[in-house]
Order: sequence, then C-alpha cells, then structure tokens
Amino acid sequence: MGIIELKNVSFDYESDNTLSRGVKNLSLTIEKGSFVVLLGHNGSGKSTLAKLLNGFLLPGEGDVFINGINTKEKERIFEIRTKVGLVFQNPDNQMVASIIEDDLAFGPENLGVPRDEIIKRVDWALDAVKMSEYRSGTPYKLSGGQKQRIAIAAILAMLPEILILDEATAMLDPRGRAEVMETAKRLNKENKMTVIHITHYMDEAIDADEVIVLNDGEIAIQGSPEFVFGHPEIIKEAGLELPTATKVAGLLREKGFDIPLVLRDEELAEAVCQLR
Amino acid sequence: MSVEIKNLSYTYSVGSPFQKDALHGISVTINEGEMVGIIGSTGSGKSTLVQHINGLIKLTSGSIKVYDIDLTAKKPDLKRLRSMVGMLFQYPEYQLFEETVLKDVAFGPMNFGATKEEALAAAEEAIRLVGLDFDEVKDKSPFELSGGEKRRAAIAGVIASKPKILVLDEPTAGLDPIGKREILNLILSLKKAFVKTVIMISHNMDEIAEFCGRVLVLSEGRLIADCTPAELFEKEYSLEGTGLTLPHTVNIKRLLGQKGLSLKGDTLSAPALADAIAEALRRRV
Repeated sequence: MGIIELKNVSFDYESDNTLSRGVKNLSLTIEKGSFVVLLGHNGSGKSTLAKLLNGFLLPGEGDVFINGINTKEKERIFEIRTKVGLVFQNPDNQMVASIIEDDLAFGPENLGVPRDEIIKRVDWALDAVKMSEYRSGTPYKLSGGQKQRIAIAAILAMLPEILILDEATAMLDPRGRAEVMETAKRLNKENKMTVIHITHYMDEAIDADEVIVLNDGEIAIQGSPEFVFGHPEIIKEAGLELPTATKVAGLLREKGFDIPLVLRDEELAEAVCQLR
Repeated sequence: MSVEIKNLSYTYSVGSPFQKDALHGISVTINEGEMVGIIGSTGSGKSTLVQHINGLIKLTSGSIKVYDIDLTAKKPDLKRLRSMVGMLFQYPEYQLFEETVLKDVAFGPMNFGATKEEALAAAEEAIRLVGLDFDEVKDKSPFELSGGEKRRAAIAGVIASKPKILVLDEPTAGLDPIGKREILNLILSLKKAFVKTVIMISHNMDEIAEFCGRVLVLSEGRLIADCTPAELFEKEYSLEGTGLTLPHTVNIKRLLGQKGLSLKGDTLSAPALADAIAEALRRRV
C-alpha cells in the first residue's frame, strides 16, 4: 500500500444549483519517498486533488487514505494534517509572525509540542531549507524564493511525511524557482520526504520519479517523464506544452532526422552531434 | 516619443533604518509603437521603475515625460497621465471589487470623469475586446468568473479608459501554457486597436524573446542592457548575476556551438531552431 491511496474518488463543486466537476473517479497510488509532479491546465483538478489529500476537502464518492488513514475519519483529521503539509502559491499569504523563527514555531506550538522540542525542530527546519542565518530576521524583506523556503520550513517543523507544493513556484523569478526546486529535491533525497509538486512549468517535471497529467478531473497519462512526454498528442490534448528540447527533437524527427526522445537541452545537443 | 526618462534615481524610506536604493540613474526613451519587455530578478527595481511612469511613485530625482506631461512640473496632471497610461498589476484578479463585472470595468472611466452612459458604453466595448461574452458576464459577480476570465475582466477595467500606453506587471504569471498564450495574443490585439505602446515586465525569457522587439534588463536598480532580445542572448554575459536564465532555445544553440555546430539566423522559437539545426546538419553532410 502506498503512502497515499485514492480509490474511485470524485468531488464536485456546487454553487447556485450548478455542479462543476473537481475530480472524477480518480484512483491513484503514490509510494513513500517518491517525487511526483502533477501537471494540468487551470481548472483540471490539480488543486482539488491537493486539498483532498489533507482532508481540506472530503471526497463526494470514494476514499482517500493517507498512511492507511481514511480522510473521512473526523477524529484523526489533525493527524492527517500534520502528515500532509501544503505550501501555496503566494509567498506573502503564508506568514503568520513577524520574526522568522516565531513563524516556524507557530505550527508545532499549535500541536502542543514542548518548548525544547520546538527549538530543536526550528533549528533543523531552517537548516533543511538553508535559511538558518535569517532566523531572527523578518520575512517581509526576503525574496519570493526565500519566503517560499520559509513556508516549507514552517511545514517541516510539524514533521510531515508528505510535502505538497501547490504551484509554489508560480509567482517566483527563475532564481527563486530554482531555490525552491532544489530544496524540494534535497528533502526528497536526504529526508526521504514524499513530495507532490503541482506546477505549470514542464521543466520542473523532467526530474520527477513520476508525472501525473490531469485533464478535466481525470488522469490523462501517468508514468515516468520520458513516458509522459513521449505522448505529445495527450500532452497537447491536456492543454500543456512539451519541454523545448522535446519539441525541437520532435520537429527534427518530422524532418527525417533520427533523433530520439529527449527531455533536456544537453540531451538534445548530444543527440544532434551524434548525427554528424 | 511616448515615454522619456532621464537620470531617474529613487530611494525608498529615506532617513529610516530601511533606506534602500531602488533605482540608479536610469535613462531610457520609449517610442510610440514599441513593445518593450523589462526583465530583472525580484528586487531589481522593475516595479519601482514602471510605477514612476504613471505617477504612483512621486519623482524625487531625474525627469520623466509621458507625451506632453512633464512629471517634474509642480503639479503634473496626474489624472490625465493615468488615463493615458493603463497599469495592470501582478495578479490583477485580486483587485476586482464591484458587485458586477460591468460596474467593475466601468469604474475606471467613471473615475476619469466620464458620464455614466459613456462609462457603461466604454465598459461594454472593453469587455467584448478582451474576449468575454458580454451578455453572459455583465451582471455576474466578478468573483464567479474562472481564473482566466477574472484576469480578462481586470484587463478590461484597465483598457476601458482607452490608454495609449499599457504597462503590464507580469501579465501571464500563474497561468497555464494555454492561458499564457491567450493573454499574450490579447495584448497583441489591443496593440492593433488603440493601445500604442506596451511595456511588459516578465520573468519569462521565452515570452520576451517571442513578443518584444526590445528588452530592458535591470539589475540592482541599474539599467544594464537595452537591446533586442536576440542581441541580449548573443551577449549572454550581461545576464550573469541577474538571476535570470536563458530561454531554452538559446541555451540549446549555445550548447551546440560549444560542440562545434554553429547555427545561423533566427533561432528563438522552437520551429526556427529546428529549421536551423536541420540546415546546419545538411550543410555538414
């Protein structure tokens, strides 16, 4: 059994007697310690799925299990929420305190963690996102990427097992995006954290263990980055684009050149030079 | 000439412990008809610069002229300036506030002194221009719209007063690939209507490369490059230390160059790059 199990999950949004589908009949297993990237156009159901995973939304039909616990078990909802941490898009909306270490202490304090333990966790979490030198500073002077790293650290202080980044890189500049991606990848490798990264940037999917593409609330395709981006027609159908190197390689194949499927700029350059 | 900036410097919170130099001696002239991209990492001064253009930040050093309005004058006509320079902030959908989409979009023209009839007519035109179904959305609450529709409604609010200059702060941030393309195409179509000049802040190099004829690069409050995108990517050294990355197409061309395969001509878009690679491979065979 995976750390996350979805069984025939459907969820509808209801407003003014009109139903709009969030997700429909989703079944999914995510293994512990994997790095999963979730792609899909706006309104494809990505954020609905994220909210179903920490019990923020409960499925209309079907069940969501986190570490074997059904999110419908009301009395265990806090347990689930400490296991599944979410980081959202806007770095400015996720700070609760005016001093960084206080911001990190807020989560564990609410969980009734003893003071000594909180201090240890804050130290560890700041170190994990490489922001220790900023501990007594104020968040509002940080860059977007640094703020998102603090938001991740604030989640880490609650010792989650699953980190969900819900378009956490969308508002950042390239440097900020790189910082957040590097942090998430490191947590995945070194701390065996299960990471689910929701994004519109195809580049951020190419190093994932698994890529899941959602379209209109259903899984359009799922598998390794090579497998997923090897199906350009499905990617297009889902309103997404291929990584640039993959696109150029495809165009060259159409022109009769023998170029394999590639994802990275370096791979394309290598493959082109092999032809000479 | 539509915007002329000379020797513009700006410091935030002068005299306080938070004093911070944001702009240093920026001089740039933007001509009518241009589509100019402004790039730079967070904190490089991009937003400070564009906020000067419509008088949101008071000029303290240097000079700015927008058409005939001189911002060094004692009392520049800010109302006229702001009706001429439409400003779309980041995530403009958060600024929708009225009860209905029609009222929200009409708010700008009303504020600039139009009569109610004029404002409603201008709002209708703007809502249609941004590609929303007027009859369907006019009486809806802006908060009932989808994300992409909200952004369109916000753009309608800015263009309802028919600005000659449109300033956009990351207009495609947070949108999916299709949403991005739709907004960029919308900006192009506005430029064919009454908008003469577009100034666009973006982090997305691929976007700048494709849509802007000219790019300004800011780093730590200084203007470090002012050229065409192609020229900028040729001299990639100028991007060092700015926190910006090359478009993939430029990176691929550079990697091929390092391996001894040089490409000719325009290679900024994926199809152009594929053509150039094919041409270079055939040349060698």
